[in-house]
Amino acid sequence: MKVKPVNQSAKSGPASPAYPQPVLGNPAATLMESGVGNCFPGLEFDLRQLDVRFFPGLVFAFPGITQNGPDGTQGAQLVYVNTGDDPIFLEDRKWIHDLANTLNGEQGGALGGGQWYLHWVEQGGNRIELYDNIIWQNTVTKTPYEGEIAWWIIRLIQIDPDPDFADLTIALTQRDENGQPSGHPVVLKGKRRAYLDDEGMIPDVYRPGELTASMCSPWTHDFRDCACQYWASNHPDVALGEVQDPQQLADHTDDLDAAQAVTFLDWMRRRSDPARDIAAQPTIELARPMRYDPYEINLHWEELDFVLQGQETSGTFKPDREDLNEDPYPDLAALIHDLSHNLARFEFSLAMEYLYAFFSLRAPDDVSPEQERDWPGLTNDLRAARQLILSVAISEMTHLRWVNQTLWTLHDMHPGYGPYLPVVAPAPGVPGEDDEIRPSQLRIATQKVIGEFVEVERPGGDLDTEYAKMVHYMREHPGQFPPGLDQLAVRIDSDGLNHYQKFRDVLRILDPYSGCPDVYLRPLTEAAPDDPRAQPALALLDAIVAHLRSGYSAEAATAQSNAARLASQDEITTARDLMHQLYDAAEVLARDHDLGVPFFAHAGQYEAASRG
Amino acid sequence: MADGGNRPGPEAHLASNLLLVAETAGIYALDPDDMAEVAGRLNAGLPVLADLGLDTDAPLPVIAPGPVRALALTVSQACNMACTYCYAAGGSFGGPETRMTEATAFAAIDRLIGDAPPGGAVKIAFMGGEPMLARPLILASVRYAREHAAARAVQVGFSITTNGTLLTEADADFLAEQGFTVTVSLDGGRETNDRLRPMRGGAGSFERVANRLAPLLARADRIPLTARVTVTPKNINIRQVVGDLSSLGFSSVGVSPMLTSPTGDGALKPSDFSTLLDEMIATGEDWLAATEAQQPHAFSNLATAVQELHRGKARSHGCGAARDYLAVDASGRYSACHRFVNDPLGAMGDLDDGIDHAGRARFLAERRVEAQSECARCWARKLCGGGCHQEVLHVGRPACDYVRGWLDFALHAYGRLLVSRPDLFDA
Repeated sequence: MKVKPVNQSAKSGPASPAYPQPVLGNPAATLMESGVGNCFPGLEFDLRQLDVRFFPGLVFAFPGITQNGPDGTQGAQLVYVNTGDDPIFLEDRKWIHDLANTLNGEQGGALGGGQWYLHWVEQGGNRIELYDNIIWQNTVTKTPYEGEIAWWIIRLIQIDPDPDFADLTIALTQRDENGQPSGHPVVLKGKRRAYLDDEGMIPDVYRPGELTASMCSPWTHDFRDCACQYWASNHPDVALGEVQDPQQLADHTDDLDAAQAVTFLDWMRRRSDPARDIAAQPTIELARPMRYDPYEINLHWEELDFVLQGQETSGTFKPDREDLNEDPYPDLAALIHDLSHNLARFEFSLAMEYLYAFFSLRAPDDVSPEQERDWPGLTNDLRAARQLILSVAISEMTHLRWVNQTLWTLHDMHPGYGPYLPVVAPAPGVPGEDDEIRPSQLRIATQKVIGEFVEVERPGGDLDTEYAKMVHYMREHPGQFPPGLDQLAVRIDSDGLNHYQKFRDVLRILDPYSGCPDVYLRPLTEAAPDDPRAQPALALLDAIVAHLRSGYSAEAATAQSNAARLASQDEITTARDLMHQLYDAAEVLARDHDLGVPFFAHAGQYEAASRG
Repeated sequence: MADGGNRPGPEAHLASNLLLVAETAGIYALDPDDMAEVAGRLNAGLPVLADLGLDTDAPLPVIAPGPVRALALTVSQACNMACTYCYAAGGSFGGPETRMTEATAFAAIDRLIGDAPPGGAVKIAFMGGEPMLARPLILASVRYAREHAAARAVQVGFSITTNGTLLTEADADFLAEQGFTVTVSLDGGRETNDRLRPMRGGAGSFERVANRLAPLLARADRIPLTARVTVTPKNINIRQVVGDLSSLGFSSVGVSPMLTSPTGDGALKPSDFSTLLDEMIATGEDWLAATEAQQPHAFSNLATAVQELHRGKARSHGCGAARDYLAVDASGRYSACHRFVNDPLGAMGDLDDGIDHAGRARFLAERRVEAQSECARCWARKLCGGGCHQEVLHVGRPACDYVRGWLDFALHAYGRLLVSRPDLFDA
């Protein structure tokens, strides 16, 4: 028998019946801007604040409706006009000159007096007013959209890829006491600001604090009324507790170890509760009986522990760095020498060692159904372990760049030390156990090797101490360094703890398989430097090193010209593309031939280039 | 044609060559050669869907209720009329006559708009009693809602259900300007209406309403205008009633049978339902004939029914009460709809403590047609959704045979129009 679908429900097919109730769009939680820190780790700023500077030279605020209802002050309010400290006005483009002239002329002057509001925006022939028109007794009243709506409209403005094409026109007006637009509009032609490029956010545009200005802040007590559990998005949700009982230690770690506890606790838990150390719950509902509501923090904030390095601490932290009491470097030359001869090379070597270990782990896709049945969870464990090791390797590559950045900054500031030469080469040895230097070597990710990685990254170990020394020296001799340069070293140093914890996690994840290495390890051997199968990978590595060198050189010169800036971006982008190709080539080599890339095969060549 | 005595079968229902799948509300055309066999098996209570490849085990998802999108403001719990059958018992819902204050109305509007997503839409219905007794409150509420919704870019639509006796020229201007949808309660022509819908003093209301309607009818191009007829044993001559109201100038007339009234007065009795069905079908045939001849006809029940069948939305509830829609009364209490005002069975929180969302969810879960054992074997369950909650909770389901008979007729009508007027239906 045959049937033919007739109505709309039938046409949608029996397997996908019409929904019994209408579903309106996506749930709010899927929108990026409605996310809170819990759902979007790393949300440290209010996305909306990016658009307060959507138009070059102008700064807006987006106030909502007051408690007494729409009083005509809601919408996109002009806060101030400033062409002076907006870096876009340094760019040499016609529309920027025109805009600067307008803003510094009569129209810009008008914006300096009274309260102005964004009235409409126009792009590609489409004009959107930031007002709703209400007809009332045959007259049209304009009700300004509140800040959130105004921001939605602004957010939709596009960026034409041509930087010389000014395709955005906006108008500003003042308002009378009834919230109605009044007077002559000021019309400006320009372009939507880009706040992201390939490198991430463009930092120079925003003032410190501007991106977090609209967020709940405990010190202003906003959080008292915070009903959304948002308070504050940058508090720890969970922390490791202090460990009193050695039985609770996860492994062979000792009391000085930063991450010895194994159970995450709810940082907001009621400390008076007899079960004060019970594990954090997965949902707010489950946790609520055991935790303070946000408004209660007013009364109990003193009970909340300080969290250092992910762990609650009740005592006063004393850094165990007696060796820092004396100057770690006799002079700046020694520091520069240390950077270029040791640290940059350490980072390179470690990145390669970690990559080699990464490729020695089987890919999750290689696990057969039988193996997964015999070793439930193997696929996911491999995925996690590989992800962790790769993230540390990438982080070391980032450090290599930061060390080079520190170097070119110092050479630029102190020309007496000669020109900057990029250092992209391995070190013959890296810090190992007991602060001994051990030879750099490519090894598969056995538990013993991962254990050594843990030691390299251990807080207080040799590598960690190197950067701590540098920070110490920079802070003791501020005149020799541009402000903020020590932050780079601080970031490298604090990443070290992160690496240390990640490798400890890898140890734990792979521990169940340690008796049967075949289950998770490839029988990888290092390919001979002249093995034809390894040549594509080696050629890619050579090219990556070359592009990084020329990219760093160009970037070092970016202060002098925009051309250098563009060149550096091209070089780095090329290097990144090549890294993806190298990843694929190394994966094929390991999977199909059980061979590892001999990452140090051309070390001498890289070394020679780094010596100029 | 419609026999009304079609045996309820749970899986599907056959109306000429159209097979309605009970669970999904999907409608399929059968090959003419298969019709006899399918009909036979349906009558014998045997399964048919599996052989047609239409069976599915996937239950429809249960979706948690979202924010309320429509609100009935019971602006006046008083009325200038004294209809014998009114669910509001003279407009007061059995309590003292009260009028809503501005503060209550504004608070309810604030909550409605505040819960709406920016860029969304809400509806506000002014109900009573007779809402026009509270004319200043309606004006103030519309203005307030417009301003607050505009700032959040929320679209707000308005509707009013009125007996029409108090409308002025200025009111009509206002309703047109603000884009109101207007429903006028009328029960028929002069003679019928005056018997059923007396004024409080006992005088007939028809003359008065007819005069008062002129300004509204004069703006029919700007005001979506519907007459709503409450069918009781005394005006069961639906064909006549629809004709009378159409002559009065209404382009849309909807009828709804009266199953329950607070006094028990005027409600249809089981013996009335076959007459009711015959009248509905006769009026429906008129509408079909007019529609096929490309002529307008006011009878909106069938116009709505065929479009609903075409959409084929499987309903778990008969209406949006409690799910999309709530009513708020003069004292600021929410109820599942305007018919549940002052009725604890439909209480949904209040303005002070907020909408009782748990109560909404509970009400909706309990009232789902899937939870009604007597609906489980009815082929029309997902079209009807289990009926009006308020009627079911108070008098049960006395009219199911009538409902099935009407839907069977509507299915046949849908089949006819698919051939004769395919332009009426979206793809």
